[in-house]
Amino acid sequence: MKAQTRNAGAAAAVLLALCAVPFLAGKFAVYLTMRIMLLGIFAVGYNLLLGQTGLLSFGHGAFYAAGAYGLGLFGVHVSTHPLLGVAAGVVAAVLLALLVGYLCVRHTEIYFAMLTLACGMMVFSLVWNAREITGGDDGLIGIVRSPVSFFGLFKIPIGTDRQFYFLVLVFFALSVWAAHRIRQSPFGLALAGIRENARRSEFAGVPVRRYRLAVFVLSGAFAGLAGSLEALLESNARPFMAHWTHSAEPVLVSLLGGLSSLLGPLVGSVIFIAMREIIQRFTENWMLGFGIVLLVIIMGFRGGVMGTLSGLFRKASAREGG
Amino acid sequence: MGEPLLTTRKLSNHFGMVCTARDLDLTFEQGVLTSVIGPNGAGKSTLINLLTGHLPVQAGKIHFQGRDITRLPIHQRVRMGICRSFQIVNVFPELTVAQNVMIPVLARTGRLWRPIRRLSRETAVMRETEAILEKVALLPERDTPATALSHGDLRLLEVGVALAAAPTLLFLDEPTAGMNPVERVRLLDSIRQLAREGRTTFVVVEHDMDVVFSLSERIIVLHRGEILCDGTPGQVRADGKVREVYLGDDVSDLFRCREE
Repeated sequence: MKAQTRNAGAAAAVLLALCAVPFLAGKFAVYLTMRIMLLGIFAVGYNLLLGQTGLLSFGHGAFYAAGAYGLGLFGVHVSTHPLLGVAAGVVAAVLLALLVGYLCVRHTEIYFAMLTLACGMMVFSLVWNAREITGGDDGLIGIVRSPVSFFGLFKIPIGTDRQFYFLVLVFFALSVWAAHRIRQSPFGLALAGIRENARRSEFAGVPVRRYRLAVFVLSGAFAGLAGSLEALLESNARPFMAHWTHSAEPVLVSLLGGLSSLLGPLVGSVIFIAMREIIQRFTENWMLGFGIVLLVIIMGFRGGVMGTLSGLFRKASAREGG
Repeated sequence: MGEPLLTTRKLSNHFGMVCTARDLDLTFEQGVLTSVIGPNGAGKSTLINLLTGHLPVQAGKIHFQGRDITRLPIHQRVRMGICRSFQIVNVFPELTVAQNVMIPVLARTGRLWRPIRRLSRETAVMRETEAILEKVALLPERDTPATALSHGDLRLLEVGVALAAAPTLLFLDEPTAGMNPVERVRLLDSIRQLAREGRTTFVVVEHDMDVVFSLSERIIVLHRGEILCDGTPGQVRADGKVREVYLGDDVSDLFRCREE
């Protein structure tokens, strides 16, 4: 009970700090914070699949892109209402994840990873080549940020980055809360059981394949949400969102922060974006510097940054107690 | 007596040239504690694997409570009431003892599919989990991760996870393997107790003859995928063929060891 109150307090403090960012920080810092939150939504959802269920997907960029293009195309053809657009993006991602997941979840481990990679690359080349619909290699450009209106009663403008920031923050907070609740739920326990021992899960009466598909689609929905928000942020949707290098980002971020906690991928997102900004100041080849850092963390920090920190914390409190 | 719990008709299985089940016609009655014995490679594990869905059936039919389950996937058989434990401990290693038992309880009561509800609110499930842990004498270890348990406790947990599915028919594959005598007595006592309660019918695969003859009301002897003998412990003990291929072997093996 005590730990729960402490966690709730910490979450409230972080939320307050995030609310203060647009009033205190400069334009660029606001932008970077938004990028961190977008990657955070992507990675927190993704880690339900990787950390909780033990399935390694290399194709989640496709669902991110589905979210972005879903919002973009919905804006062009139906309505530029941002919330409806986000909903359209998430629905597009869910539908695509259902299709891809249905094909992939009958396999596990390396076969699953390669199948998701293949599906992701197919989506990428589809987006790249369907120029009439997606704009091909130019992407979908000119996505606008209309005000968020509630049945025409009142309107909240999101035109500037500082205004848009709060929409991102709302979705970020909702995503983290949802992921937290899922991890604590019976459904989350079922996923952990599948990770630990899929065969035994079947003998416990769990329809394993259906649960794998469910979490695959769920993580796809998080990816779609992040993608649709990025489309609004950058005013475009680009085919490289579906590329496998982008699919690798939540994998790296989860490894960096730690697979076994909710906080892991969030901390990983902060490190990832911050490092990219810092290293890019010195060299074009930021991936080289990033590779070195990743090596150090994977070899030196078992269980990612959060895994190591919580290990130290546990040791310290054990010493206090004993 | 009523309808038999489970029947097989001409159930067969082979791995390449090796036949592990040949036209098996078996009937399991409600409430009869049955043991399956036989020398190594007799097809004991294959039989369990076929009946529980671990192995696909190559030929023949399985009926459970009158329903054809030959092609049913594992989890649906579990829902219907057929469960098993494993010869080699096969639990959820990183989860706590309570969580291990909770998964089948949640699955059975249809509460597993709940993504937003807090697990700690499922008080009915908690109570049931504790009752099962009590039965297998693991309640004091409820918050211990399974990996930290001793071998004997792991075997008990193995049985606990199987029991948590509240099966009407439960196959135990060498439940006492690797246990020390104290743990063995404890486990056999709880099996006897549970069998007497009558909700679960046990079918036990065992190597230890003392266990088999003291526990069972019925013994099925398998040899090279066929039924050699099927009857009460007395009938099996008196059977000449069994002595020849199995007990006799065992005895002569024993003598050979003594001589060396």
